[in-house]
Amino acid sequence: MRILGITVGRRPHVLAGAYALDALEDADLSRFERHLLRCRTCPDEVRGFAATATELGLAAAVPPPPALKAAVLGAVGALSSARDVDEAIAAVLSAPDARIVSGATSAGGTATVVASKSRATMVFTSTGLPALPPTSVYEVWFIGSGGARRAGLVPPLPSGVAGTATPTTVPVLASGLASGDVVGVTVEPAGGTESPTTTPIVVLTL
Amino acid sequence: MEPIRPGPSSPAAEPGDIDVGALLTLVAGGDQTAFETVYDRVAPPVFGLIKRVLRDSAQAEEVAQEALLEVWRTAGRFDPARGSGMTWVLTIAHRRAVDRVRSETASAQREARVATADVAAGDEVAETVAASLEAERVRHCLGGLTELQRESITLAYYSGYSYPQVATALGVALGTIKTRIRDGLKRLRDCLGVSW
Repeated sequence: MRILGITVGRRPHVLAGAYALDALEDADLSRFERHLLRCRTCPDEVRGFAATATELGLAAAVPPPPALKAAVLGAVGALSSARDVDEAIAAVLSAPDARIVSGATSAGGTATVVASKSRATMVFTSTGLPALPPTSVYEVWFIGSGGARRAGLVPPLPSGVAGTATPTTVPVLASGLASGDVVGVTVEPAGGTESPTTTPIVVLTL
Repeated sequence: MEPIRPGPSSPAAEPGDIDVGALLTLVAGGDQTAFETVYDRVAPPVFGLIKRVLRDSAQAEEVAQEALLEVWRTAGRFDPARGSGMTWVLTIAHRRAVDRVRSETASAQREARVATADVAAGDEVAETVAASLEAERVRHCLGGLTELQRESITLAYYSGYSYPQVATALGVALGTIKTRIRDGLKRLRDCLGVSW
C-alpha cells in the first residue's frame, strides 16, 4: 500500500509490536531504535506493548525449583560481600592518610601494604610470592608491643599460575591496625594459626 | 524500612502487594532483604516465562539465575518513568531467553523442536497457565484476537521467534506479520486494560 509515495510496509513504525516482543533481528532492531529517537508516538506505544507483554509473562508463571532461590541468593550474597570488600579497599586506598610500604620477602617476591591509621585498616597484596603446597598458607600479622595478632590469610593463587609469571595475590583487607604496629608475613599450616610459628619472610614498618 | 505503596500503575499488583519498582530502588542500594522480596515476587513469572521459551527445565533454571543476577547487578538502571518494575524484570528475562534460543537456533536439536512445536504454541497458553485469574484474563483476551494475530504473538513471545521466523513458520508475508503483531498487541492491550 502506498500513501504519498511512501510504502507503508517499510515504515519502521509498524515494527513497534515486534520490538516489544524482542522479535526484531539485528538490522531491523537498529533501524527501529533509530526511529524511536525521533518518533513522537512510538515510545508510548512501545511502553504500552511492553506492559502488555508483561501480562503474557505473568500468565506463564510457574513455581520455580527451590534450588533456584538458594543459588540466586547465595550468588547475591557473594557478589555483595565482594562489593563491600572492594568498597572498603577503595576507602583505604583513598584515605587522606593512606601510606604505602613495599618490601622484598626472603622467600622471593614483593609484599605491599597500604595502611590508613585513621581508619585502623590496611590492605595487603603481593606479587611473585612462591606458590605453596596445599598444606601451607601465607599468613599476615599485625605485630605490636603486645605480640602478633592475626590480620588474615593470603588466598592461594589458582594452581598452574605459579612460576609462569609474577602473580599478584588477591588483596587482603584487615582492620585492627594499632599505632606502632608493623606488618609481618609468615608461612603457616593451611588454615592459619593463632600466633606465628615461623620466622617472618618480610616485616613492613608503616 | 519505610512502608512502600503498591504501585498504582502495575496491573499485576494486588492490594497490599509491595511494588517491585519501589523495591528495585532499594536493591540498587545493595539491600539484600529487598532483593529477596523481589525474588519472591518475580521468580515465578521469570522462571515460567523462560521455561516456556526454552522448553527445557534445566536450561530455564540456568537462564533464570542469570536473569535474576542481572536484576541484582543492574537495578540502578531501572527507571520508573519507563514502565513498572515487573515489566523491567520480565524484559530482562525474556531477552535472555530469546538470546539463548537464538544462539542455539543452528543446532539440530533446536531445529527438531521447532519443527514439532510450531503452531501448537497457541494452545499451550491454556495448558501452562494455572487457574490464576491473571492467566485466565490473558487467555480470554488472546481468544479475542484473530487466529493470525494470536499465533504471531504467541510464537514471538512464548517461543522466542523473530518475526521473520514467525512469517516462515506460518507461511505468511513478512509485512503481514509485522502488522498482525502490532494490531494484535493493541487489541490485547485494550482488552487487558493495561495502563503504564
